Amino acid sequence: MKPFTYVRATSVAEASRMVVAGSAPLAGGTDLLGLMKGGIASPARLVDLGGIDGLNGWSRERGAGLRIGALTPLVDLETSDQLARHLPIVREALRDTATLQLRNAGTVGGNLLQRNRCWYFRDAAIQCWLKGGTQCFAKEGENEHHAIIGTARGCNRVAPSDLAPALIAHDARVTLTSTRGTRSVLLADLFTDPALHSREEHTLRRGEILTEVQVPESGLQRRGTYLKAMERKTWSFALVSVAVAARIRGGKLRDPRIVLGGVAPVPWRVEAAEAEIDGHPFSDDLARRAADLLLADAAPLAKNGYKVPLAKELVRRALARIAAA
Amino acid sequence: MPTVRPSGPGAVDVELDVNGIRTPLHVAPHTTLLDALREDVGLLGAKKVCDEGTCGACTLLVDGRAVYACMTLAVACAGRSVETVEGLARDGELHPVQEAFIAHDAFQCGFCTPGQIMSVVALLRATPSPSADEVMRAVSGNLCRCGAYPNIVEAALAAARKGKERP
Amino acid sequence: MEQLALVQGDDAEAWAADAVLTIVGRPQRRVEGAAKVTGRARYTHDIRLPGTLHARILRSPHPRARVRHVDASRALALAGVRGVLHRFNTPKTAFRGEETIFREEVRFVGDEVAAVAADTEAIAEAALSLIVVDYEVLPHVVDLEEAIDAASPRIDEKGNVLDADRYERGDVRKEFAAADVVVEGTYRTSTQLHNSLETHGAVAVWDGDQLTVYESTQHVFGVREGLRNALHLPLANIRVLCDHMGGGFGSKGGIGKYTIVAALFAREIGAPVRCVLDRHEENVAAGNRSATLQRVRAAGKDGRITAIAHESWSNVGQARWVADPTGPTKGLYDVPNVLAHAHRVLTNTGSLAAFRAPGYVEGTFALESAIDELADGMGVDPLALRRRHAGSQVDPVSKMRYSLKRLVDCYDIGAEEIGWSRRARGGLRGSAPGLRRGLGMASQLWSGGGTPPAYATVHLNPDGTAVVRIGTQDIGTGTRTVIAQVCAEELGIDVRGVRVEIGDTDAPYAPISAGSLTVASITPAVRLAAKDAREQLLDVASGVLEVGRAELRVEGGAVVSRGARTPIAKVFEDLENYTVIGKGSRMPNPDDIVLKTFGAHFAEVEVDPATGMVVVERVVAVHDVGRIVDPLTARSQVEGGVIQALGFALSEERVVDKPTGRVLTSGLETYKVPTVRDVPRIVVRFVDVPDTVANNVGAKGLGEPPIIPAAAAVANAVANGLGVRIRHLPLTPRRVLDALAAAS
Repeated sequence: MKPFTYVRATSVAEASRMVVAGSAPLAGGTDLLGLMKGGIASPARLVDLGGIDGLNGWSRERGAGLRIGALTPLVDLETSDQLARHLPIVREALRDTATLQLRNAGTVGGNLLQRNRCWYFRDAAIQCWLKGGTQCFAKEGENEHHAIIGTARGCNRVAPSDLAPALIAHDARVTLTSTRGTRSVLLADLFTDPALHSREEHTLRRGEILTEVQVPESGLQRRGTYLKAMERKTWSFALVSVAVAARIRGGKLRDPRIVLGGVAPVPWRVEAAEAEIDGHPFSDDLARRAADLLLADAAPLAKNGYKVPLAKELVRRALARIAAA
Repeated sequence: MPTVRPSGPGAVDVELDVNGIRTPLHVAPHTTLLDALREDVGLLGAKKVCDEGTCGACTLLVDGRAVYACMTLAVACAGRSVETVEGLARDGELHPVQEAFIAHDAFQCGFCTPGQIMSVVALLRATPSPSADEVMRAVSGNLCRCGAYPNIVEAALAAARKGKERP
Repeated sequence: MEQLALVQGDDAEAWAADAVLTIVGRPQRRVEGAAKVTGRARYTHDIRLPGTLHARILRSPHPRARVRHVDASRALALAGVRGVLHRFNTPKTAFRGEETIFREEVRFVGDEVAAVAADTEAIAEAALSLIVVDYEVLPHVVDLEEAIDAASPRIDEKGNVLDADRYERGDVRKEFAAADVVVEGTYRTSTQLHNSLETHGAVAVWDGDQLTVYESTQHVFGVREGLRNALHLPLANIRVLCDHMGGGFGSKGGIGKYTIVAALFAREIGAPVRCVLDRHEENVAAGNRSATLQRVRAAGKDGRITAIAHESWSNVGQARWVADPTGPTKGLYDVPNVLAHAHRVLTNTGSLAAFRAPGYVEGTFALESAIDELADGMGVDPLALRRRHAGSQVDPVSKMRYSLKRLVDCYDIGAEEIGWSRRARGGLRGSAPGLRRGLGMASQLWSGGGTPPAYATVHLNPDGTAVVRIGTQDIGTGTRTVIAQVCAEELGIDVRGVRVEIGDTDAPYAPISAGSLTVASITPAVRLAAKDAREQLLDVASGVLEVGRAELRVEGGAVVSRGARTPIAKVFEDLENYTVIGKGSRMPNPDDIVLKTFGAHFAEVEVDPATGMVVVERVVAVHDVGRIVDPLTARSQVEGGVIQALGFALSEERVVDKPTGRVLTSGLETYKVPTVRDVPRIVVRFVDVPDTVANNVGAKGLGEPPIIPAAAAVANAVANGLGVRIRHLPLTPRRVLDALAAAS
């Protein structure tokens, strides 16, 4: 790790002021320090957010949805029985996220803002497109873990977070605060649209601090579940993951969401797939049609064609599970 | 009007509570808790195996929670309580988890052992009577290349059964 | 090769199968347990000598290049840098058949180019980036199958594919022509990385012309020999120490380039120098289990296996040897016609190092898969087919008799335990709709009889405690503990009264802790040393107690005669510091007898054809390795071997980028060793009959046997459950789904 200066912020405003070019905010550090040790990031200053009050914990006010502070350790969400009653998908998504030690240190904001795990991106000796180079090494290379859909020019990474698809399936929003003010965006919009050909993975602007996640009341009305396929039983990023959520009325799926992780540079949604099942009772056939629509544009690389049937199967199982619950 | 002044990149003073002992350190901000303990404090129980938060050999407790010391900055632990494997035995008497690890042969080369033990200690404090599944979840971030896993699970369950975990 | 061993005295009668032993054969806690659970155990990584400098190694960024020039001036100008070594300023230091540790032509990404010593590791690391190297980049090839292809760049003038070993018995060609059934399969295994948790490393310090090296090693004497060859020192001037070590699995058999770097810097600068690899270096430059491509043909006629032909190609990097995968094909089954042909394939990747049963793990997968395919083709139960070829008491290669072989017993025990009779062709229904369940098994052959030379001394102290000294090392297997047990048993004292001093070349020689050699090599020497000490004690006691020597024995720390017990301390009471020093050496193995270990693993798996997930539910591991000295550590050893094999079977794979030659899975997040949750229920059984012909303890080695058949058993179980055979390890979801897609 390259030396840096360190400062502990005591308020969001202070942190925002200090996160200038060359600085990075530090929360749990479980991703940032890895990037720094690997030579992928080398900020001259770390702004420790750990001393800021009010960003740790969650609350539920009737009618006002659920609010989760960005500095809440992942483990606190995972282990809260009370939260599991409001939004069980969070526990499902977090149980097999990273390891317990990383969930003890890692925070909600950090999880949503973590960078991708592409092994070319993570190798400092490889100047890939995302790091300012001219090509994606995975495209013709070792791409078994890479994206099958939604890739634009340049980059075949996949979105690694387990929490993001789960929260997006419940229409979560995030609050971003800077010295210029505060804005609220859909969590889905925190991830840069690959079509924009941007070398930023997130839409966070300079000086902005992710302070809070909100799940609206309507999102909490949905029943959701999260499934994740891994190369070992735990401590693996998803080969493919799926979050589904829907209101179940009269045995019918209403206002459904299907969000895939591990298949695209961003958590992957296709509205046509959701429309296909909206208002219908679950059936294997219905689920297959939705999965087919979700992956209609899939264009696997040489070594990741397996992700297509895997994703379709996980979608079918997840929908079956919420329909049966 | 900045109210807080950045420190570093040279060494700065911080004070940690290490195994109940106030421990002043003079370390650069980029020093990890693991390096600070191994190189400055001389506590060599936590091991450096991957140094990037993937293996668990440096697991210790910060404010009671199991974390990877290699992914924790020493300066960020100012004023916090750090517990390492060296702090478990009291007056020459092994902690019940340590005792159970020996009785159940829960290690071979022993390099992952301090980290495994700290993960189990943290578990038993929060969950004094864990299921085997809970034990496995608690130590699934602690890799053991010798494959002592079945005995680690047995040892943790045995220590729990003895119910002697000190608060 | 004739074994030449100079030994003193006579061997002891082997402990008989019905001998009443009170310590050997009973569960014993590890003697170093308290040190390991308290963090007190000191490993090479933990050596902290005052004034230590830190060395880091500059590694080639190219898979193949010529080093034309090295400019270290900017590195040397950095504050805190104390020296730089590279090929233009380093003395010749012999290393594994090469003249220098810094090659002119670097051969893989990670090959050593230069080294820096500095006041801190961070300064040394920073200095690496200041060294300017002029490389002439050369064409390269990293993939095994591409390297075999004649159109690929030749990285050695003799070509990339080199013959390693060819063996034939009978007439394979004739039997294939005459067979009822012939099966043929191409099997692939991936490069497995050892990932010992303690990386390779050394700390070197000179005192005048005396060199002391602390090294994480499986062979302190091997390190001493390597240093002698590299630095041309008398053996008396070299001392190598390894108190505790964090795993080796075959990869730590001798010195590394880091050892020489540390020793050279330490001599040049006059300070202790520590050179320890990081995890990524470990996984590119410290060895691996070769990836293999194997073709197996097997023929059957009249219900028997009549011929097997096995040809293999192994990606050895640049190594001058190959871990021959065809060993099991030659020796496991009594099959009259066998052809085996192993090839060594050179590539621009990190070279292999021995990895726990090198060759046998890979080869057993191919052989035992083919045997199952043949059984399917013949319409017979695969275990029944194996039984017909497993009972012979004669080694088919040497035609000599085995000292002891209980392979069929292993089959009986394992089949009963797993419930083999449930096995059905085409598999069983799983625990939920859509899931498939399968049973599979495979056999194990390995050596493990041990070897001379090995020497031990036992000092019996005036208080009745003892110190055993032997230059072995405990790599985590429990060596200290079995030494203490055998010593205490023979000497007649409490095992807690025995201190074991190992890991030091100033102690008597012992062989490498590898090849499942340790227990069968060293415990017979320890026993003889203890026996020598006991006999001297009885001589003294006879005089002191004025009782006939023949009427005395030692038991429970006391000299016992009819009706009287005299504690050893009491015997010695008036003799001041009289010390008994017993000596023992490992006797030669018997002539004209073959010492082998055998075993069988049975696996039950559940496979999800829709997701490609393979869940191993249960492994029954049965081994025939002679006497079990410590049932507690023996069980651990088997569980550990099975778990390492499961990683090889299901998730572990070195991935190398072909254009850049970079290892993409050099970290423990991408290189997936099993976690606690990947472990099935493992049932461990031993035949536990002492091999009284083999040595005076009756024990054979158990390090390697448990890793050998597990992957093959799992692969056979998966094939049974799925009805589709996947001939490429590891069996990741991707391979399973791709194979199912290809089959449908």
